[in-house]
Formats: sequence, C-alpha cells, structure tokens
Amino acid sequence: MRQAAPPAIAGTIVEVEVHFTLVELCRACEADEESVVAWVLEGVLEPAGDSPGDWRFRGECLRRARMARRLAQDLGINPPGVALALDLLDEIARLRAR
Amino acid sequence: MVPAAPARVGSVPHPSPLATPPGRLASLGPVAQPLGRRGRTGRRQPARSPPPPMKFKDYYEVLGLARDATQDEVRHAYRKLARKFHPDVSKASDAEARFKEVGEAYAVLKDTEKRAAYDQVGRHWKSGQDFQPPPDWDAGFEFAGGGEAADGDASEFFEALFGRRGAAGPRASSRTRGRDHHAKVRIDLEDAFRGARRGVTLRLPTVDARGRVAMTERTLEVAIPKGIREGQHLRLAGQGDPGSGDGPPGDLYLEIAFNPHPRFRVEGRDVFVNLPLAPWEAALGASVTVPTPDGPVALTIPPDSSSGRRLRLKGRGLPGTPPGDLYVVLEVVLPPAGTAKAQAAYRAMAEAFEFNPRTPDEE
Repeated sequence: MRQAAPPAIAGTIVEVEVHFTLVELCRACEADEESVVAWVLEGVLEPAGDSPGDWRFRGECLRRARMARRLAQDLGINPPGVALALDLLDEIARLRAR
Repeated sequence: MVPAAPARVGSVPHPSPLATPPGRLASLGPVAQPLGRRGRTGRRQPARSPPPPMKFKDYYEVLGLARDATQDEVRHAYRKLARKFHPDVSKASDAEARFKEVGEAYAVLKDTEKRAAYDQVGRHWKSGQDFQPPPDWDAGFEFAGGGEAADGDASEFFEALFGRRGAAGPRASSRTRGRDHHAKVRIDLEDAFRGARRGVTLRLPTVDARGRVAMTERTLEVAIPKGIREGQHLRLAGQGDPGSGDGPPGDLYLEIAFNPHPRFRVEGRDVFVNLPLAPWEAALGASVTVPTPDGPVALTIPPDSSSGRRLRLKGRGLPGTPPGDLYVVLEVVLPPAGTAKAQAAYRAMAEAFEFNPRTPDEE
C-alpha cells in the first residue's frame, strides 16, 4: 500500500504574479546579461526602470526572452534581427488569429 | 484524496529537463534503452520493453548534402533548414522533430573530428538500415565531454556513436545557485477551470562523481492553479537544479498547454462552443441545455436566430480577475428529407415562405 499522496507543490503563475530583475530574467531564459541588455536596447523587451540595475520585467517577458534566446542561439541572429523576427512572428500570430 | 493522474506532458521544444508521462518511457529510446556500446555514456537503465532496432541515420541526407560537402556548405545547409523548421517559426506539426534532426546532423558534421568518425562508419550503412556500432568503433577517436547534440535530446543513434550529452554548464566549486529548468505540461481545459493536482515526471541529466552522465527521473506532484491559461508559465521555486556549495537551488518553470478538447475551443481566457440547433428552435426560440467546462447550463435561444450567431455567457470562460466569457456559436442543422413525411413538410415550408436566400444578381 502506498502512503497518502505527498502534498502538491504550489507554483506561481509567472504572467500574473511575477516581476523579474535583470539577473532573474537571465537565469530564467538561460541567456547572458549582455544579450538581454542588447534585446532591451532593440525594444524586444520593455522593462520598467531607468538603468539595468533597476529594471523590472513583467512576467510576459519570459516567453519573449526565451524565444529571443532560442532564435539567437539556434539561428545565429543578432539583436536587431531578433527584434525584427519577433515583431514579424507577432504579426503572423495576429493575422492567424483573425 | 483521489490519486492524481499523470500529467500529459508534451514535447519540449528546447528541453533542459525532459518531461515525460510515467509509463511511456519505453517509447523514448535514448533514455530507457541499453546503449549499443559499453561504458562511456554512463549508467544503463533497464528497458521496459524490447528496444526496437536502431536505424542508421544519414546525416548528409538530413541536411541535403553530398558526402564531399565543404564545412561552409554544411553550415549554410544547416542554417537554411534550421530557419525553416525552427519551432518558434514553423507551425508545421513535425517542425520540432525535423529541427532536432537537423540540429543533430549539424552537431556531427560541423565538427571535423566527429564527421570523420561518422564517415568511417557511414561507409557500411544506408539510411534507415538497422544499425549496431562496430565492436571496435571509435578506436582512435576520443570525444571529450561526451556528445553534444544541438541543444536538445539526442537520438539513440547519436548517443550510440558519440555518447550522451553532458549536463550543461561549468560546475562551479564555490557557492553557486542551481540552474533554472523548463518543461512543458499538457493539462485538460477542465483542470484550468477547477484547479488540479498533476504528477509531472522530469528526466534530468546528472553527472556522477566520475563525471559520467546519467539520466535521473523525478516525479513532482504539482498543484495546477485554477484559471491558468494556455502559454502561461508556472514557477516552482527551488525545484530546479541543486546549487553547488551552499548555493540555493534553481527554479522549475512549467509551460502550460491544453490538450485539444473535442467540444471546446479556447482563445486566451474565452471559451467557444458550437451549439447545433434544429431550424424551428432557431426560428421560434428555444430553451436548450448547453455544455460548459463547468457543467451544463440552460440557455434561452432568442427567436429568429441564425447560424453563426454568437451568444455570450459573461464570466463563464476561464476563471480569473476578470474571468473570461463563454461564447456559444449557433449552428442550424437541417433534418434530412429522407421520408415522404419529411419531404411533405419541406414542401409545405416552401409554400408558406416567399423566401429566396440568394440576392437577385447571384441568379
């Protein structure tokens, strides 16, 4: 017989409850700080706050930052290219949703 | 408490940990099956069913290259196919598998040492043939650090040739936080409506004291919060890699996807359901029972409704602040005119209505 089931682990919904610092976002999207800063400068991600130390990224940034990291890593795309690719992918998603 | 069903865990486009449903491991060759050669790639795990024969993979064919392709041509072909099949870019259902295949081929062919070793083996096999590495395979080759497939889980074939991919990242000696991990979890729409408990099995590469890589399995019971939406991420604090030294562990992120539902369609927080109606119900109005993910509700159909009309049930979509809406899409279905009685009824309708559904210039 098995014992009573262990308690389930409760999580946090990132898109609803989480804001990331630069360091946290880098860890979560598995990219280095230099890349994330470059994506911010290209407008891929739009944190609140004035300087990298103060930046706060909304939870939605996680998905976008991970896509940016994959595109950069898998396809060798530089930051302006990543910005363009993500904008076009957003546009395609919007058109498909119609 | 009801025992939690295993989560249906989807494929991971860029898996750090691989998430798989318990009991299906036997179908995932690289992990559960004994490898064709000894030692190198770490601890064997017992296969739960006889392994299917390994097939030879023609990496040149995968990249569409001739065997004498230059390294530049290899890179060029890879980049082109990687763009085409990148899971973030392509919506094709096999994109992810193709992307992995292309990445694996590139991992071998871009590395002149691996390519030479592969070419040596490749003289004796054709694509798709059953494959066993020759007993003296890799004599004279030493692939330091094990294999390295392109950011993902390598095929059994790749591992048999080049070893299993090591856990990434340098092992820091001092106090370092563990890495975060990501996995994708498929849940049912109903789970998001009510909240649920799901067992999620993660497979993680771990490095033992002798530097060998083994896959270890870990099952977590995860509380799926009510109202979670497709594409959102659930963060489980401290469930990632253990830290080194006395560093804290990393976090685990679960990306939520919904299993396709036979009845409901979800867009963001709104849910759509088709409601078939008889012509007289649509014409005269009716009170019908409509299925919702939260159980059936009674719905009044206003008279003179037609196909395509959408009735909104406010707040009956995914729970949340604010909750989503449920849209009931009406679909008028004609009864078949298969009997004399039915035909008589249609003729009576034709006489009763002066009705032409087409505008005159279509005639």
